[in-house]
Amino acid sequence: MKRLFKPEKRLLTIVLCCIPIFLSGCWDRTEVNDLAIIAGVGLDRTDNGKIELSVQITNPKAIGGPGMSSGSGQSGQQPVIVKTGTGKTIYDARSKLQEKTSRQLFEGHNRVIIIGKSLAETGIRKHIDFFARFPIPRLRANVFFTDGKATDILKVIPSFENGESAEAARELAELKIGMNVTTKDLLQQLASSSGDTALPKITASKSKLGEGLKVNGTAIFKNNKLTGQIDDKVTRGLLWLTDAIETASVTIQPKDAEGYISFKILRSSTELIPTIKNGKWKMIVRITTEDDVTENETKLDMMDPKIVEKLEKQMEKSIDKRIQLVLDEVQTGMEADVFGFGEAFERTYPQKWKQQEDQWDKKFPEIEVVIKSDVKIRRPGRSGGPQGVPQEKEKKK
Amino acid sequence: MVDKGKISAMQLAFLLYLAITSTAVLIAPAITGGIAEQDMWLAPIWGSIAGFLTVFIAYRLNTIYPKQTIIQYSEKIIGRIPGKLIGLLFLFYYLHLNALSLREYGDFVVGNFLPETPMFVVLGTMVFVCAAAVRGGIEVMARTATIFIPLIFFLFLFIAIMLIPDLEPKHMLPIMENGIGPSLTGGFLASSWFMQFFLLSFFLPTLGKKQKGLKWGMLSVIATMLTFFLANLISLFIFGDITSTFNFPVMSAVRYISMADFLQHVEAIVMAIWVTGTFVKIAVFHYVLVIGTAQWFKLSDYRQLVFPLGFLLIIMAIWSAPNLQKVAHVLGTTWPFYDVLVHVLIPTLLLVAVWLRGKANGKNARKK
Amino acid sequence: MKWLMVLGIVVVAILMTLYEWPKINKEQKREKKAFVVLTAGSVILAVVLVYFPAMPGPTQLVDAIFKPLGKLLEQ
Repeated sequence: MKRLFKPEKRLLTIVLCCIPIFLSGCWDRTEVNDLAIIAGVGLDRTDNGKIELSVQITNPKAIGGPGMSSGSGQSGQQPVIVKTGTGKTIYDARSKLQEKTSRQLFEGHNRVIIIGKSLAETGIRKHIDFFARFPIPRLRANVFFTDGKATDILKVIPSFENGESAEAARELAELKIGMNVTTKDLLQQLASSSGDTALPKITASKSKLGEGLKVNGTAIFKNNKLTGQIDDKVTRGLLWLTDAIETASVTIQPKDAEGYISFKILRSSTELIPTIKNGKWKMIVRITTEDDVTENETKLDMMDPKIVEKLEKQMEKSIDKRIQLVLDEVQTGMEADVFGFGEAFERTYPQKWKQQEDQWDKKFPEIEVVIKSDVKIRRPGRSGGPQGVPQEKEKKK
Repeated sequence: MVDKGKISAMQLAFLLYLAITSTAVLIAPAITGGIAEQDMWLAPIWGSIAGFLTVFIAYRLNTIYPKQTIIQYSEKIIGRIPGKLIGLLFLFYYLHLNALSLREYGDFVVGNFLPETPMFVVLGTMVFVCAAAVRGGIEVMARTATIFIPLIFFLFLFIAIMLIPDLEPKHMLPIMENGIGPSLTGGFLASSWFMQFFLLSFFLPTLGKKQKGLKWGMLSVIATMLTFFLANLISLFIFGDITSTFNFPVMSAVRYISMADFLQHVEAIVMAIWVTGTFVKIAVFHYVLVIGTAQWFKLSDYRQLVFPLGFLLIIMAIWSAPNLQKVAHVLGTTWPFYDVLVHVLIPTLLLVAVWLRGKANGKNARKK
Repeated sequence: MKWLMVLGIVVVAILMTLYEWPKINKEQKREKKAFVVLTAGSVILAVVLVYFPAMPGPTQLVDAIFKPLGKLLEQ
């Protein structure tokens, strides 16, 4: 005990007691109620060449009880707040936006980046840098293209997801009906030798029942600039080619029967096999899928192996057709390598690729594509023969 | 010996593993990826050769002078003045290296998590805890490392498993597009971490059972190589060509984790790994510096040097590099040669000198 | 602002000395010398750096010495 009262010990004790005072001044203290949590970001270009940044901020008041019926529209709490700012760069626009926002903007939970048409036409590469450099945003955010203004998409209040269009857009991307491109994927594609990429196209749909979003079609970027758009049907082909197809249905009309048969794709894999023979560059696309029958309008018996074999052949043709569609439009039409053909050649023929790298733009549209699809119908579903048809009238072939 | 503590060979392996991998995982994928590109996963394998070599040299020197560190036996081998000079070079090297590691840690924390906090506060708090650990002695540090090892191991494994859905092995192809050269150069850059295993020289004298030192040292090199390999492979499989565009690829990869929509935003784990890892690293290097200085001055105690040298360390960390770009540039170009000089060339020359002297002595003895 | 930083540095140095000095035995002359040299050196270096933060550091020295070899790796 005596030692505690030595003068130097006492001094030390006093000093040590003073130190915690400095600890309270934590520089990076941020409280949740000081943050404006950004759920989605929209990028547009103004007429005079500036960036217009729109952010969708989650309204904390609305999160509490969206289901509470407080007399429709009486409280008027919007689930989200959309704000816009313009500037020379994204960060410049962001700081302009910050001036108008009483809370600190926070991108840590940003889920989507929507690129408006005006910006897409002038090139997107230079604007993506911000999302990979600024420490807060995540590379997981999904990137979309919209034909109009990005702000309009953010303003949509969909019926699901608490009225947050950003979350709705992300869920749509996760369903993989269209392309699913994250910031990381986009960065990789832009960094590839061709710099061609494709982004899912998102559109707002309005009807009496309420507003909603849908992913229909794909925007094709050549050398990071928008060159064209393909519709929903062609997009399916693109998904087949890039091995991105997941939840898909195929419906065909059998040749020798009335009505349609629908299949659900359970598993599918696409392999790109590049070959160079005698200086001729060729791409073999090998597709294998497994399907289940989900609906049978015809009178065909799904248990009959012969019929199933025929149907498999027909499905293969239908897949080939879809892929041919996208090849016609994108490969020969827009001449944009969004399929990763270039990379496939680079991986298999690194030496030959190096010689041809500069001429890839010219060479790409001329590449012969051979599609080899292999469809396997695994199960007939819950029923064997057609339903609602007397046994003897079933078509047996 | 200045520090009377004794540790086991396994604890020593844990200490070295943590001290070396913590910063390697943080920035090495970016540095090796910049040169080796898609062959970057090979770099740690080549680099580990340097690790085995340095462990062997340190062990051989220790068998000749079992109770001494390089600061002491260099004087015995090549005389007082040259020995002292070599000792000074080693001390300066460890101070500088530790300052750079500290600076990397500071840049990482300030850049990713605490952008408003002044650098010296981040550095000062870290050095203070490290200094406290060093003051506690080698036994305290070894026990700390033993506690941290399972924690870090499981967190690292957790990250690796969480990233499996996002891995794309095709980024690895084509293997050796430009021959073996780029991966070897990348391996040379990676070896700069493996050569730090020469730290063994300072810890072998504290071992209870000497024979096990070599075995555990080698095991530690292998573990480091595997971790390093895994970190490079994960970064490559996720980012492919763009790996080297990120300053902290593993960090960016972990921020990318999203499992079933709810298991995401887990970068706090990375932070936990790196803060604990860096703590061990800085403590280990600081211990070596303090012990070395005490031996250089021929002091009987080392503890009073801990805080003054810690203070010097902070100053060096702020002074040693104007920005992160400079650190990365130096680490990617000139630093590996400095490493080779200090960790391989000088010890090898010392070993050769001992061997020659031994031969000469043997002849003299026979003549007599 | 600069004098405040200098004050901070001096306070840290005094705190260290207050903590360590009573722990060193009276007979340990060498230890005392080493402690004083290191502390004083650090304080001087720190104060100089406060006024000349752009002073070339040890990293530049290493970079300069190994430059010819480093060129091999530069691309």
